[in-house]
Amino acid sequence: MTKFAETVLNGLALGSVYALIALGFVVIFKASGVMNFAHGSILLLGGWTVTATHQAVGFPLAVLCGALAAGAAAGLLHALAARGLRGAEAPVLTILTIGVDLLLVTALNARIGPDFLSTGDPWGDAVARFGGVAVTQSRLAGIVVSVLLIGGVFALFRWSRWGLSMRAAAADQEAAALMGIRLHRVRLAAWCLAGALAAVAAVFLAAFPAPGLDRTTGQIALAAFPAAILGGMDSAVGALAGSLVIGLSSALAAGYQEQLSGLGTGLADVAPYLVMVLVLLVRPNGLFGSKELSRV
Amino acid sequence: MSEISKRAVAGVGVLVLLALPFYATGFWLQSGLFAMAAVIGAIGLSLLTGTTGQLSLGHAFFLAVGAYGYVWLSGPAGAADGLTGLGLPPLLAFGLAVALTGLAGGLLSPIAGRLRGMYLGVATLALVFIGQHVMLNAHTVTGGYNGRSVPPMDLFGFALADASPQGLLVLGVPFGGLERLWYFGLALVALALLTARNLLRGRPGRALGAVRDSEVAAAVMGVPVARYRSAAFVVSCLYAGAGGALLALVFRRVVPETFGLVLSIDYLAMIVIGGLGSVGGAAAAAVLVTLLPQVLTGYADDLPLLARAGSGAAGPTPGEAARYLYGAAIVLVLTLAPQGLAGLTRRRPRKTLQEHTP
Amino acid sequence: MTAAAAELRVDGVTVRFAGLTALDEVSFTVAPGSIHALIGPNGAGKSTCFNVLSGVYRATEGSVHYDGRELTGLAPHRIAGIGVARTFQNIVLTAGTVADNLMLGRHGLTTAGFASTALRLPKAVREQRRHRERAYEIADFLGIAAHFEQPVGPLSYGDRKRVEIARALCMEPRLLLLDEPVAGMNPTERLAMAATIAAVRAELGISILIVEHDMGMVMRLADAVTVLDFGRRIADGTPESVQRDPAVIAAYLGQQQEQQKEESA
Ligand SMILES: Nc1ncnc2c1ncn2[C@@H]1O[C@H](COP(=O)(O)OP(=O)(O)OP(=O)(O)O)[C@@H](O)[C@H]1O
Ligand SMILES: [Mg+2]
Repeated sequence: MTKFAETVLNGLALGSVYALIALGFVVIFKASGVMNFAHGSILLLGGWTVTATHQAVGFPLAVLCGALAAGAAAGLLHALAARGLRGAEAPVLTILTIGVDLLLVTALNARIGPDFLSTGDPWGDAVARFGGVAVTQSRLAGIVVSVLLIGGVFALFRWSRWGLSMRAAAADQEAAALMGIRLHRVRLAAWCLAGALAAVAAVFLAAFPAPGLDRTTGQIALAAFPAAILGGMDSAVGALAGSLVIGLSSALAAGYQEQLSGLGTGLADVAPYLVMVLVLLVRPNGLFGSKELSRV
Repeated sequence: MSEISKRAVAGVGVLVLLALPFYATGFWLQSGLFAMAAVIGAIGLSLLTGTTGQLSLGHAFFLAVGAYGYVWLSGPAGAADGLTGLGLPPLLAFGLAVALTGLAGGLLSPIAGRLRGMYLGVATLALVFIGQHVMLNAHTVTGGYNGRSVPPMDLFGFALADASPQGLLVLGVPFGGLERLWYFGLALVALALLTARNLLRGRPGRALGAVRDSEVAAAVMGVPVARYRSAAFVVSCLYAGAGGALLALVFRRVVPETFGLVLSIDYLAMIVIGGLGSVGGAAAAAVLVTLLPQVLTGYADDLPLLARAGSGAAGPTPGEAARYLYGAAIVLVLTLAPQGLAGLTRRRPRKTLQEHTP
Repeated sequence: MTAAAAELRVDGVTVRFAGLTALDEVSFTVAPGSIHALIGPNGAGKSTCFNVLSGVYRATEGSVHYDGRELTGLAPHRIAGIGVARTFQNIVLTAGTVADNLMLGRHGLTTAGFASTALRLPKAVREQRRHRERAYEIADFLGIAAHFEQPVGPLSYGDRKRVEIARALCMEPRLLLLDEPVAGMNPTERLAMAATIAAVRAELGISILIVEHDMGMVMRLADAVTVLDFGRRIADGTPESVQRDPAVIAAYLGQQQEQQKEESA
């Protein structure tokens, strides 16, 4: 029973970090209709900036630097995509982000090399206990920070001018433009926000029990794809639900791998994709996604 | 270019390709064969993503089905290492591997047919990861992490692999298996190019293009959209199967690592650099993308900014340099020259025709 | 070549989008071989009606019959197979040449599959050649034969509208739906297009349902007129009777005043 509780808690922790990434996917998708495949490398850039700056400025400021760097990179990518946006279809722009990912990831890999880098986070390998249930402090911190940030993003969506513009633009771009909403700025803000969230996610992905940030950390963003997709690409609530489902299923697959050995080793890595495919079979637009209507 | 000069260039190209085994070293023949496998696979992806507009990140999976399919169908049954196989004649196994890949595409196409845009893209991404899982775990078929060796192609009693030293000499050049595999590969490439071109110029190609440009308009013109979307998937898989099986023959050992996400992305890079929707462009870009790392490796010492792989020296390794180059190529092509390589030979720019719908 | 034109019967068709009733129990009948106009102010539901007829939208209620067969619920490509062809208000052509677009219209009349096309089997080659000839005839009929081998992208707006109509005619339809065929054309082009439409009916004997804002053209061409306003049918009958109908005058008056405001602005 403790094992189950620990596994679920780990799943929630993982899910809440995925949620930071998946929310970024959704925000970008709502703003520009693009699936950002460069998100993993932007996350890596954010994380790497933290590792490179924490000794000089301390951890909190380093995270800020990371968020700024990743946000700026995402903003630049938006500028590039917006250039291509004139008339290009979304799949083409998606491929564009893949190209940018190749460049960024290659550059970062050359910097990071084969090492594990420390982000200088304050939690170390400390473990908190609730009754018999043990959970690392870094994971608890991950949950808390994610909840705060995600709550903040939802509040922005709900109450800020930007959130209003975003919703208006997502509902009807032309009408929003007519109403004087500067789509370009609204979109730019969305991309920067998504980048900053990814940088924070990088910190927790690199924290204990992971040995630190390494060149594969960015690939974890890939597991947030299924989370965003299975929730529905245009639904922020969906991104949260999807992330929790994916986090829990990975944690359960990893925690009970002996019992699941009939399905092969390394199941935890594919569990997100299996779950996503199963959901898409039943709901082709995800759990909360809206159906695209083609108008002629 | 005029039609005549195009023909002339093509003719000279074919002659050069036919003569190459008499002059090129094994390294370059091998590289050339990689490029051929890539050309065939890229044609398949071009038909699916470029022509029909269905984003696929799962091409590596279908290449793997072709590669492992060939190995398993032609591999010896009940070998000591616990591997299974059907021990079929290689040529038959090759054909069946292609069919098997088409079948895999056919089985998945109902799912693919339901999904649109990014949902399809990420669902096909799932195929790559699920495929990796299967390749690593289905030991008796795939050999697991270490993979398994590939039975050489054998045509009418001639083994088409390097391991046949008993010398056949043609014009004084020793004609080993690699040289013969070269011609097998060339024939496949020719077949792939011709069939794809015919398809695009005929009824199915027009229907697929219409589905890409507007599903509604296509349907109203009498095109059963779902059926054509599925068909595009199957056809693309047939090419991927042939490309994958050829890849296996060139590698002579298949391992799961080859067929990861990176491979899928390489193929996307090919069709983008070639110009979406152009078969010839995709083929040219496939050669470019596969040979670039090889060329950079081959001449790493002579090129200024490059470091040798693993030498620890500053500067990008050839592999990195190649990735920089085609990452940059994707970005530049998409932002500056959406026609890609195909645009170089086309006189008139092709506009997108989708009018803005209110 | 084609079966004779038949009657199109629209019965109590209702279409609702989230919170909006685009069509409200609309009924009308298009007599075989007639030119029938569907008119109404902007947003009246004309294009929505076309979308229901061609199977793009599904009616919430009501039914559509053509030649005794129910169209409601059929997939668009099946409706195309029954002999209903349409054009779009916003030109929707596919990349490629005029010939490519017209040959797309022949899709349902041809049979070459993937294998026979890929291998260029004689059957497929012959079929393609034969249908290309017919496509060229139709292009000639619409006055775009000179552009037959050219890409459609750079063509003028009017020519692209003609390509769309030619593509629909390439389906050898028995019922042709034209959504604003002369919108955006100059007066000379309009006259030419009206003559073409009359000629299509005269030579092919098919029924034509046409959405058009140009009242002069409607009055000249149409045998019957149905008027929609806010999704409701407000009038139905001969052009003369509809023109005098007070409800129609009221609906159009409101719109014309708006237009005048726009023009003077
Ligand atoms: N797919 C859709 N989803 C939601 N609303 C729609 C959709 N298609 C049409 N509408 C709405 O239905 C109403 C009727 O539109 P429709 O296009 O049929 O008008 P119309 O008579 O063709 O006008 P116009 O003369 O401007 O072409 C409009 O209010 C339009 O906004
Ligand atoms: Mg309309």
